[in-house]
Amino acid sequence: MDATPGARPYQQTPRTVSWRRAAGHLGRVALGIVFLAAGFLKGLDPAEFVHQVAAYGLIGMRLSGVAAPALIVLEIVLGVTLVAGVRPLLTGLASILLLLMFIGIEAYGIAAGRTEACGCFGAYVQRTPAQVIGEDLLFVGLAILAIAGLRGWAGTRPGRAAAVLVAAIVLSGAFVVASPSLPIDDYVTRLRAGRTLADLDLAARLPELLRGRHLIALIDVTDPRAAEIASALDALASRPGAPVVVGLTPATEQEIDAFRWTVVPAFEVKSVDRVVIKRLYRRLPRFFVLDSGRVMAVYDGAPPEAGDLLSSEAS
Amino acid sequence: MTVKRTAHRMLGVLPVVAVALLLPCSARAQAMVCKPNYDYSVEVDGSFPKNATLYQSTTPGMYFIDVPTCKTGLLMDMKARKVVAVPRDLVKTVDGGLQLSDTVPPAAAAYALAVDGPMVQFQAEDKKVRILRCLDRPPIVGAVDLDALVTDRPEYREGMKAYSPDPASIATMGKYAKRVQIDAFFATWCPHCKEYMPKFLRVMSEAKNPNIKLNLYGVPKGFTQAPGPWQGRNINSIPTIIVKVDGREITRMASQPGAEPEKELAGIFDAVK
Repeated sequence: MDATPGARPYQQTPRTVSWRRAAGHLGRVALGIVFLAAGFLKGLDPAEFVHQVAAYGLIGMRLSGVAAPALIVLEIVLGVTLVAGVRPLLTGLASILLLLMFIGIEAYGIAAGRTEACGCFGAYVQRTPAQVIGEDLLFVGLAILAIAGLRGWAGTRPGRAAAVLVAAIVLSGAFVVASPSLPIDDYVTRLRAGRTLADLDLAARLPELLRGRHLIALIDVTDPRAAEIASALDALASRPGAPVVVGLTPATEQEIDAFRWTVVPAFEVKSVDRVVIKRLYRRLPRFFVLDSGRVMAVYDGAPPEAGDLLSSEAS
Repeated sequence: MTVKRTAHRMLGVLPVVAVALLLPCSARAQAMVCKPNYDYSVEVDGSFPKNATLYQSTTPGMYFIDVPTCKTGLLMDMKARKVVAVPRDLVKTVDGGLQLSDTVPPAAAAYALAVDGPMVQFQAEDKKVRILRCLDRPPIVGAVDLDALVTDRPEYREGMKAYSPDPASIATMGKYAKRVQIDAFFATWCPHCKEYMPKFLRVMSEAKNPNIKLNLYGVPKGFTQAPGPWQGRNINSIPTIIVKVDGREITRMASQPGAEPEKELAGIFDAVK
């Protein structure tokens, strides 16, 4: 240390060092939590994130199918390593690079006229590209704070750091792979028993569902299995006392017509804005019974059995 | 013995007689009821004749097509993939729809149909008929007056008939004394416009206020790049309803699920007195 007075205009005292370092740790942990949350929320519905990445038009659907899960793993790993204090300078710089990439993509989105929400915090948190850029700039600030504040701090011991890194990669990878099969739809989506049509943001769009008993089928009419599902629903609807079947789909009107003319379902199929309907499912098909506008029961993957419908009526 | 045999024969004949007696009743019960569906347009030889209408039956997959220039009605059976000519005397008008007798002559002409993506097409009586979604018709582009719009687009006309605006709001609009100009930019290919504009147009026709002038402009697909009155007015989405009071733009209205345009307009007029 230079002991000559005047050689440095500002001499760091132990107190300023501790404040700077505390701010650095704060930035590191805060940014780590942000990345963890972003990765985890995206990981709840990886298929939707693939769709969102492809929607930007920068890369094709096939490449998005690889890039999107990889990005989720990267964010979770970055989040874990930041929180655990693994190589703070390196993880801080990596964070800045990743955030600058996100800002660039969002700026491209704005230039291309995109107004719909990005998927930065998964499918269930809706924000516009402009809001995302503002947030990302704030996070870049946190990364700079972490790098500046933790100058000279080596972080976690190398052996432990390697273990944390490997564990984060393995666990986040396993989470992304297993997530679609986890029975967490009730917690992740808006659709669950007891909810009202207004809770699902459908009351103003489909007021005719507020009265009477309905079996709502959330279906993808472009899915080859849709014909089989329609046949099962037709059989259900033909039973005496069965609820009125209504199909809701994120497909376009043209896709619905192609389905209507070829499959000839005995029930109405209506298009609902993707932003609205996507909050009700992670995977299609999904079904629910509505009684006077209130969700009575939810069924995943296949239409309910006729007996289930009777029991849900009784309950 | 003979008496017994005769009795048995009579008993055997009874169900046949019963069925024969019940047949006319069941035929009446099965008469097909069809309601007009204005979500679809009927194209005949490349044009859209006025009053050519698709009717949707209560029986899944059955549709009746009324083309005024055709000698017969056309019953479209999507499951059997055919169209059957129905003599017009078998079709009755009932309560806003049609009722078809189920006794279509067995020798009635039948035509094969083809599904081409979202469209159905067939040839009947030397006429090429296509059923397509009304939103897929060639759009109305540029300034259009209300009468021409509702004459050309049954989905708007019927949507207007179906809407009941709030009388108090209509009264407020009817009494408004300032000079109002409303420029409505909409598209006949836009599903949100199809939902919202008939309500808005009904409100405008109910208000009957000479101080309120309405200008309607149909916009084409890709309108942000196409020249027209929508350019230079910062119109990024449709419908966009620009409300000017005494020549000054006050606000813009857009479609929302469950929108009630008369309440919105009455609120604007209440605020700008």
